[in-house]
Amino acid sequence: MPVLELREVTKVFPGVVANDRVSMTLERGEIVALLGENGAGKSTLMNVVYGLLSAEHGEILIDGSTVKIRSPRQAIDHGIGMVHQHFMLVEPLTVTENIVLGREPGRLGVIDFTEARAKVAEISQRYGLRIDPDSRIADLSVGMQQRVEILKALYQGASVLILDEPTAVLTPQEVRELFSVVRSLVSEGLSVVFITHKLEEVMAVADRIIVMRAGAVVGETRPSETDEVGLARMMVGRDVVLRVEKTPARCGDTVLDVRDLHVEGERGLEAVAGVTFDVCGGEVVAIAGVSGNGQTELIDALVGLRPPSAGTMALKGVDITHASARRSIEAGVSHIPEDRHRRGLVLQFDLAENLVLGDHRLAPYASRGIMNRRVIAEMARTRISDYDIRTPSERVLASSMSGGNQQKVVVAREIGRDPELLVAAQPTRGLDVGAIEFVHRQILAERDAGKAVLLISLELEEVLSLADRILVMYEGRIVREFSADEADAETLGYHMTGGGGTKLGDSGAPTPETDEAAERGAGR
Amino acid sequence: MLGDIITPDLFASAFRMATPLALAAIGGTICERSGVVNIALEGIMLTGAFFGTAAVLATGNPWIGVLAAMAAGVAIASVHAFASINLRSDQVVSGTAINLLALGVTGFLMEFWYGHPGTTDPIAVLRPIFSFTSPGGGFFAEIWRWFNGIVLSHTPIVYITIIIAVLAQWALYRTRWGLRLRALGEHPRAVDTVGVNVYRGRWIAVLMSGALAGLAGANLTIEQVGSFTENMTNGRGFIALAANIFGRWTPAGSYLASLLFGFADALQIKLQVFRDVITVPPQFFLMLPYVLTVIVLAGVIGRAIAPAAVGQPYKKG
Ligand SMILES: Nc1ncnc2c1ncn2[C@@H]1O[C@H](COP(=O)(O)OP(=O)(O)O)[C@@H](O)[C@H]1O
Ligand SMILES: [Mg+2]
Repeated sequence: MPVLELREVTKVFPGVVANDRVSMTLERGEIVALLGENGAGKSTLMNVVYGLLSAEHGEILIDGSTVKIRSPRQAIDHGIGMVHQHFMLVEPLTVTENIVLGREPGRLGVIDFTEARAKVAEISQRYGLRIDPDSRIADLSVGMQQRVEILKALYQGASVLILDEPTAVLTPQEVRELFSVVRSLVSEGLSVVFITHKLEEVMAVADRIIVMRAGAVVGETRPSETDEVGLARMMVGRDVVLRVEKTPARCGDTVLDVRDLHVEGERGLEAVAGVTFDVCGGEVVAIAGVSGNGQTELIDALVGLRPPSAGTMALKGVDITHASARRSIEAGVSHIPEDRHRRGLVLQFDLAENLVLGDHRLAPYASRGIMNRRVIAEMARTRISDYDIRTPSERVLASSMSGGNQQKVVVAREIGRDPELLVAAQPTRGLDVGAIEFVHRQILAERDAGKAVLLISLELEEVLSLADRILVMYEGRIVREFSADEADAETLGYHMTGGGGTKLGDSGAPTPETDEAAERGAGR
Repeated sequence: MLGDIITPDLFASAFRMATPLALAAIGGTICERSGVVNIALEGIMLTGAFFGTAAVLATGNPWIGVLAAMAAGVAIASVHAFASINLRSDQVVSGTAINLLALGVTGFLMEFWYGHPGTTDPIAVLRPIFSFTSPGGGFFAEIWRWFNGIVLSHTPIVYITIIIAVLAQWALYRTRWGLRLRALGEHPRAVDTVGVNVYRGRWIAVLMSGALAGLAGANLTIEQVGSFTENMTNGRGFIALAANIFGRWTPAGSYLASLLFGFADALQIKLQVFRDVITVPPQFFLMLPYVLTVIVLAGVIGRAIAPAAVGQPYKKG
């Protein structure tokens, strides 16, 4: 008998059927991966199970009997625990306080903290999840915070654990640790629903795979019966190219010319320590590097968000070294920022408003300081269909869209502006394979239209599949340049971690002991 | 002259002046910890002051007045709770509306019940609990005089306030209610996902702040002044908010910050007496507590971090 069974669950949001008669089962001691693109309805389905949302139709069965779950409290009482995509932790409180919140031990309303700490210690020992019970959440790493979330569910007596995209925020090392935690949990008799859109994770951890697309279950399989390409096809509903084809670059005039640029970072330290490079029209130049080697500051300087301390930048011969963000846009620089929530979108604005940001002062969207709503809405509808943004209308708030669709909005705005230079920072972060393919095609289309593209990415896969030239950045300097055909992941990883020395033109052949460095550099 | 200013009475007066501020500030602390901004403290305090006075005028019993003041505070706070929790309206707008409403309603009822604006007839007040006489001269007599003045000279609500501050501080960090309250104002969804009712938690907090601010009003009329005057709170609700911030959203901090403001107020009153000696316009002294408020709010005394979700209405699902 399954520990959890869903029958024909249907959940409708205004304009969207998020779950369309979804049925699934979960057996005791099983890891079921729920795989699907962004917006497929995975989180919605599990929020229904957890009582945060109520479904229009359908049944939930626990150990074979139908239950009504109207609130998280009832879900918890039925032994369901959930670790949400965005953590539900109270940052200023301690680990113990967060774990016992809602079920505090003690008498007459007074919390017995000694007992609370002891219980936390006991659970953390039993499942091998080591943690300091007195640390404040705000002081913990993301991986540790996730551990607290899992402990919280276990403390509440979960026998079914739902993990919603648990790896999205983890480093590769933390992902490996999480996998072993999940395996030890099922060996203790728990059952796990593992939500993800990453194919290799599904292959690595799942016993059974349920694939969702556009709100419905479209297939069920096992890792032994399929491969990543097959999963991608199921998930997206068509053949997906995991690596887009491209023609050789035809390099035109120099578009971006950067000379000996120096930029200071947050604490006055020199983050970019003299970089020189150019990008010509019709090519994609990628900057590869491990996070925190000056890429962020370089991007900020290029798009006018942070003044360089020395050096020059020119766009098509026009100096933009001290251009403001506005002047930089006017000069023809577009920017897909690495953090779409903080810099790419105004989450409280609707789609049309987000699509016009930056051009909102210009004709035809505005005249004499008054915005023309009708023209903006028309433009928004065109972009929505051109860029395949899945939304019921252009008046939907950005905050209510899935990550993949939000990113498409940013891409549509920045490429739709028809820039001379596109600065694309982590353009596919958090996206599923279908959306990644789409964004990659858009970037290459820009290139083929003779525009210059500067790609900054931590994903080597992405760098290798898009770039015509690759610059490796390490500690604020460009330490190595590769052409597309001479680079491979291993060599790049080696140089990204400082392996090749800091001199340009080093031969830099990888040695056996750098394998680990290469793997770390691969950022997966 | 300094000896005429620095007297036991100055410090005793500081505790008295601090009391209404501290009650409202602790109310504000509890309310804001739950995630609801309460700038209505001023209006709630005024409402409490009025209905407390009215109840004493009707019954002659000051303790019934105290209960009436708290009940009136709870009643008007429930309007704020409904508007900001259930209707999810802007909490600053709702608070402002309540402040204006309180001013209007108390003024109107003043005319309606007592036939004149301004000030009511004097009422029966709560007297100091202890009354000891000071013995003659000598060093120990001097110490006794200070102790008696600062510690033993007060009316009941002054002591009750200190007890409330200590209790609330303990409860915030030691009880189930306190833990949930601290979590509510930081991350209400996290509280919801562990199965605790967010709306109920916030309602309780707002009503508690109403009771405390109402009690502050009772202290003003039934212990300090002995009558009700229109708009007699005179900005104390806002100073209490500043004390709450200065006290970093803790009950004990709120009390100590209120004590500082209370001291400024007491000093100001004391200095008024010496206006012939100190040739400064009296308005200058009147300004003191407010200037102090501005300085505190400008963050001169360290940055204070508000609960992360304060002011944000919570929507389920
Ligand atoms: N609170 C909400 N209001 C309106 N639409 C929503 C809400 N939550 C999710 N959706 C929509 O429901 C669909 C499924 O979303 P979600 O379950 O978050 O997908 P997934 O977790 O698979 O990425 C998406 O189209 C999304 O825009
Ligand atoms: Mg999701």
